[in-house]
Amino acid sequence: MKSYFRELSVAGALAILLLVLAIFAPSFYSPQPLLSLSAGAAGSLVVACGMALVIISRQIDISVGSMFAVCSVCAGLLAAMHWPLALVVAASIFIGAIFGAFNGTLVAGLGLPSIVVTLATMVTWREGLRWLRQGEFVNLPEGIQWFGLSQKSGQWALVIGALGILTLLAFMMKHFSIGRFIYAVGSDAEVARLSGIRPKLTTFLIFVLMGALVGLAAIMNIVQSPQVDPQSGTGLELKVIAAVVVGGVAISGGRGNLWGVFAGLLLLACISPALTHLHIEAYWEKAIQGSIILLAVVAEGLRNQKSSNHG
Amino acid sequence: MKKLLSSLVLLAAFAVFSGCNKSAESPAPGADSSKSAKKLTIALLPKSKGNAYFISCQKGAQKAATELGDELIFDGPTGTDPAKQNEIVENWITLGVDAIAAACENKEGISTALRKAQAKGIKVITYDADALTDGRTFFVNQATPQGIGYTLMDQAAQLCASNGEFAIITASLTAANQQEWQKYIQEDRDKNYPDMKLVAVKPCDDLKDKAQSETTALLSTYPNLKLVMAICSPGVPGAAEAVKQAGKTGQIKVIGLGLPNENKIYVHGGVTQAVILWNTMDLGYLTVYAADAMAHGNLKPGDTSFKAGSLGTFEIKGDNILLGKPFVFTKDNIDQFDF
Amino acid sequence: MNTDKRTRKDNLFRHEAILLIVLVAEWIFFRAIGRNFGTYDNSCDILRHSCEIGLLALAMTPIILTGGIDLSVGSLLGLCAILFGKLWRDGHLPIPIAALCAIAAGALAGGLNAALITRLRLPPLIVTLGTFSLFRGLAEAITHGLDTFTNFPNSFLFLGQERWLGIPAQAPLFIAIAIFFWLLVHRTTFGRSFRAIGFAPEGARFAGIPAGRRVAMTYVLAGIVSAIAAIIYTARLGQAKADAGNGYELFAITAVVLGGTSIFGGTGSVHGTLLGVAAIAVLQSGIVHALQPSEMAGMLTGALLILALASSVLPKTISSLRARKSALKLAKQNA
Repeated sequence: MKSYFRELSVAGALAILLLVLAIFAPSFYSPQPLLSLSAGAAGSLVVACGMALVIISRQIDISVGSMFAVCSVCAGLLAAMHWPLALVVAASIFIGAIFGAFNGTLVAGLGLPSIVVTLATMVTWREGLRWLRQGEFVNLPEGIQWFGLSQKSGQWALVIGALGILTLLAFMMKHFSIGRFIYAVGSDAEVARLSGIRPKLTTFLIFVLMGALVGLAAIMNIVQSPQVDPQSGTGLELKVIAAVVVGGVAISGGRGNLWGVFAGLLLLACISPALTHLHIEAYWEKAIQGSIILLAVVAEGLRNQKSSNHG
Repeated sequence: MKKLLSSLVLLAAFAVFSGCNKSAESPAPGADSSKSAKKLTIALLPKSKGNAYFISCQKGAQKAATELGDELIFDGPTGTDPAKQNEIVENWITLGVDAIAAACENKEGISTALRKAQAKGIKVITYDADALTDGRTFFVNQATPQGIGYTLMDQAAQLCASNGEFAIITASLTAANQQEWQKYIQEDRDKNYPDMKLVAVKPCDDLKDKAQSETTALLSTYPNLKLVMAICSPGVPGAAEAVKQAGKTGQIKVIGLGLPNENKIYVHGGVTQAVILWNTMDLGYLTVYAADAMAHGNLKPGDTSFKAGSLGTFEIKGDNILLGKPFVFTKDNIDQFDF
Repeated sequence: MNTDKRTRKDNLFRHEAILLIVLVAEWIFFRAIGRNFGTYDNSCDILRHSCEIGLLALAMTPIILTGGIDLSVGSLLGLCAILFGKLWRDGHLPIPIAALCAIAAGALAGGLNAALITRLRLPPLIVTLGTFSLFRGLAEAITHGLDTFTNFPNSFLFLGQERWLGIPAQAPLFIAIAIFFWLLVHRTTFGRSFRAIGFAPEGARFAGIPAGRRVAMTYVLAGIVSAIAAIIYTARLGQAKADAGNGYELFAITAVVLGGTSIFGGTGSVHGTLLGVAAIAVLQSGIVHALQPSEMAGMLTGALLILALASSVLPKTISSLRARKSALKLAKQNA
């Protein structure tokens, strides 16, 4: 139980926030807005899962926001050209995977540091998209929104879909050897290589998976409204990395699990609506977000210090 | 050898990129240049790039530049750092433009650079969002801030039978334009509609998705909310979508300052009752004509009217060139416009 | 078998030489296709525009040398600008006192980063990610998101906007700080210890280097420099806003890496960082003079960064491929 301290403490913080809301702002718990909030966070959850895997393998990917925007706009344009929805979904995932492969080739193939590679790709894709699109929205045809289902079914589909991806990946990490490889590569790539794992291939595939998940998240985003804003995905990388870190994944790699990330994402996603419901001014949001990140890391650091002092 | 190779590769890369000449404008052949033989360079600065509102201004501006035989440069900040507009203006000063037309994100900050431009003999005009008065000669005002604020509040009151709660979605809390409009919205409310209550002002950072999530939260926080007023263009479709998804179409009214194309489906769907704006292409067109006239000495402080090409004559009030009154797009007329 | 006799130092020298060539090529290129690029006025402007970023990149260099990173410098610039403005306007402090207070605040903020990173042994990326949000958030909270500070006296604005003896007024200050960092990193034992800590943290500790104190020093210095940059920024713009310096940290990191400093720590140079800042600043100004859209500057910077990284890694890859080839040949011969 001790080894899940981080995950449990995040869950605990989330529970406290939800309790505060229940007492002081019960209007937060109206079903329809909660469902809308959850559906809105579905895409971020999917990206957060991918980011967790990337960070566990001791890399980082700060280009997810730009990839997300490009995939959203491409998917929107294809949908506007009346491609069938299933093909649009496949295309978005594929485009995301291509971007991920580009990152992966540079990081795994050439051994370049992932933070700098993804910094470069983030800037390049974002500026390129802005130049091409110039802020123009993409108008989606009928039948795309909510996958053509009713709003309620569509929102539930998104929430269940995101939870499904989370469960699938968590299961994979725990029970499949690929999960073991990812933890191994994150702990010590050289030892992993000597044990017969192929760290470069594993790293490459993780980036491809990240890209594919971003493509999927882009679809989850565009079906929620009849227009695609090319500025969507702004700040996604920060949001997701914060969720992963607050959720207990170590930035040095090799440790962490997806359920903590889930709790972390929920905690951070609830801050903004919580502020509105508690009638707190919006300009406190960033300060609170930063404090949560610091508290999470400090708590971890103090715990480590205590245990190393006793050891 | 390797050194030489890599630097040659980089030089080649630059040469390739320089071939893309997407934004360099050139006057159409046979343009009417009988007024003056000199081809002017007019630089148009939006609040930020990647904003459809300013792209539509640019379209009108380009039309005017072509008619006048001038060269139009359009460039702006791609990020949110406040100093970026200043840097672009200062680069234009050394480049040697004849006139600068700026939509100002930071009133006081940009005036620093604009004063410098004026000192170098460059004519400075502002449009859409003004600078400090000593930074520019004229301000092309699409409508007075009072006109905009009052029209918004009057529309809101009309839709709510003059009583009820309403909320505002704004761009960012520091945007000078939006702050000024809010001031007049409040003033109109205080004077004429004391039973209308403003319950919240939320920023959406010019992001449609954020406007949507903020509105969703507002709807459940304030159960008696009657109207959402979005005073930045991505905010209007965002707020409308939130109201629609909450199932409150028609019960909670949505109005705002937005582009017709982005709001047509919501206006036809009865979610958004009114979209208020002005003809942004005309705004760009008028701005370039005014800048050109200033650079040629045909428009001077103290003039009371100004003729801008095919648009006709405009009134000048002090140093404000007025485009006209805010225009209300509704279900009946929105389809006539394409921007 | 071909052994690569080059030391790390030689590789770095090659990198900086290439960057210098790139910088010169940019200059020549934009002079050719740009309109009025490269005039004295233009050069002064390029220096003024890149001053704050340059300061942040200088402060970032020792941090990255030790294997750390500081994502909070841009947000700290915004916070210090706001504090400076507030102390002057609402606190009625004279400008120099307000400036000193802002610098003290910057040092404190840097100290917060330092304490969390060195005392609690927390990863710099996450700590500074947290303070990145926290500092910006405090700036927004203090101003309630909408207040800005302006109408500074002309004697203050002189620092950011006018020229002193023909060069931009902020240049002497920038040059002084650049020399300070160059001496710190390249001529003192501090600088050598930074590299040692970045190259092998445990080894450095065993060698008796007070790694904790040295690393803490880099973060506190970054805090002080961010505050100085904030004051220069406010003078240049004539306005202090909460979102000042948005995105500057990534720009600074780009410049440092472009200049040849390894993001993992251990190798790097201050002159490389300065070349990196210059390369990006010239590119940005050149793009405007060439009448190209600003987005192109961003895309080219990204491409340049990748090319720079790849070119530094390429010789190693080629030589390891070569080594593998000859080893295989040898094995076949002996088989």
